[in-house]
Amino acid sequence: MESFFSRYRNLLVLFVLLIGQIVGLAVQVRRTADGRGVIDEKDGPGVRLIRFWAESMVVPFVGGVHYSRIGLGALWQNYIDLHNVRQQNLDLQRTVDRLRLEQASLMEDAKQGQRLQALLDFQQKYIYSTLPAQALGSSGSDQSRVFYVDKGSADGLKPDMAVVTGDGIVGKVRDVFPHTAQVLAVNDQTAGAGVILETTRIRGILRGDANGRLEIVGIMADQRIKPGEKVLTAGGDLIFPRGLPVGEVEKVVPDPDRDSHIILYLKPAAHIDRLDEVLVITSTEPRFNDQQQQDMDTSDALKAPDVAALKEQQKASQVMAERLPGLTDPNLPTDQQPQPQQLPDGAPPPPPTPTRALPALHPDRFSPGQAVQPKPTSPDATTAPHPQAKTPGTTTHAARPNDGRNQ
Amino acid sequence: MSVLGIDSRREIEIRRYPMLVYVLVPLLALVLQAWLPRLVTPYVWFDFPLLITVYFAMARRSPIQGTTIGFILGLLEDALTHRPIGINGIAKSIVGFLAASVGVRIDVDNVTIRVILTFLLSLLSSATYLFVFRILLGMVLEWTWYNELFRAIGNALIVLVLFHLLDRFKIRD
Repeated sequence: MESFFSRYRNLLVLFVLLIGQIVGLAVQVRRTADGRGVIDEKDGPGVRLIRFWAESMVVPFVGGVHYSRIGLGALWQNYIDLHNVRQQNLDLQRTVDRLRLEQASLMEDAKQGQRLQALLDFQQKYIYSTLPAQALGSSGSDQSRVFYVDKGSADGLKPDMAVVTGDGIVGKVRDVFPHTAQVLAVNDQTAGAGVILETTRIRGILRGDANGRLEIVGIMADQRIKPGEKVLTAGGDLIFPRGLPVGEVEKVVPDPDRDSHIILYLKPAAHIDRLDEVLVITSTEPRFNDQQQQDMDTSDALKAPDVAALKEQQKASQVMAERLPGLTDPNLPTDQQPQPQQLPDGAPPPPPTPTRALPALHPDRFSPGQAVQPKPTSPDATTAPHPQAKTPGTTTHAARPNDGRNQ
Repeated sequence: MSVLGIDSRREIEIRRYPMLVYVLVPLLALVLQAWLPRLVTPYVWFDFPLLITVYFAMARRSPIQGTTIGFILGLLEDALTHRPIGINGIAKSIVGFLAASVGVRIDVDNVTIRVILTFLLSLLSSATYLFVFRILLGMVLEWTWYNELFRAIGNALIVLVLFHLLDRFKIRD
């Protein structure tokens, strides 16, 4: 027996290690109803511990190498190649000041828009808080397109947070360690994101293929889809906010596995394989930091004279509207006419302007302006206007001037 | 190529290295494997952990040591991915075992043999990975054969420089 173990100990060691790993794999992988093997999104405690060890052992060194490279590059850019930097800095500072105020103004508009959308029960996520992070290293394997960033749970990162750049989406946080996090890139085979074509509004599922190319699957063949069409996030996956750039359609090919379906290959908007700095979307709820709140207050203060001038203008328009003649109804008695509002400065309202009645179609002696002029009895009466002459807007039965004498 | 018995070759040509080399070189291999793809090329046409496994297995000429170093490096490589842990471990354990077993029988200082052996073991590692992933575990994995071929060629080319560098660290009697 002893000779057996000593003779085959090499094979036995290999056998034991292989069996141990196969058992370990069997614990991690479970079978679905259709016989396929899948792994859970969340690692078990043992697996997570091994990943934590590997991450602690390798990623800090990768970070050291990465920062050394950046430091050497920065040494040249920041200390040697400095032509016109001071003037550029001043110009940029002015631009930043202006943009901060504009941004504050836009944030107010955005808040108002969201309140209106909330009233309409419209569900949509907005990016409000991001955390910049450095992309350090990858898994080093084509079969697993993940990379590590230098921010972790200590910085507030959690699994399933979206990772983007200024150009477009990059991936989502898969696993979080104290000071680093693993990000699953969107071009991995197991990645998935809901996307929508900008023009045709056709929805599909984004993922990566074996070569790390971005592709959209699950789309029926459609003649309207052309190369060059832009692709955006659809917002239905609860990871990526809606409307973020994904890329543009590069090629349309038939799906070999499903009839009447096509696969769209994309040119990614973000340089997924050449990332240095990324943004992790840590919050999609409206939260403003002190600086933003201060900017919004400043914006309010700056806009106050404009707002006051606008109110004054509206007031003047209101006064002008009240003075317009159409507001007095000639057919109503005087006591039922709409009363003009008192001016705010206490000035008396202007006297009503007499209105002119429309001419009668068949005028007679009772029609306004058709009264028969009496013959003049005295020379001065010919020039003086008749006191009983009907004027528009007055009663038709005028009092006689000699009434007092007859009584 | 000299023809010697297994035991006599092992006694004559077992190489020894400073303890620091056994620690730092595999660690450096993992760091470079994680860092270089993001810097140089998105396509991973090299596998430094595999090369280190092959080198130390052939140099030590011990199947147990080759299997163990392949097992450790494979596990760490798996742990840095989001895939199940153990697939690379199995592949590299087998590679380490075979490299050491072959190293006992042939002259592994010959550059041509090193290149050919690395090329073949790289293909074997890819085939084992795919077998475990798709057959044993029944998981879906798209792959292209030319990717694996290019990786094997890339590994074989790196051997020309890397093994020569590592030879400088061996302890001479």
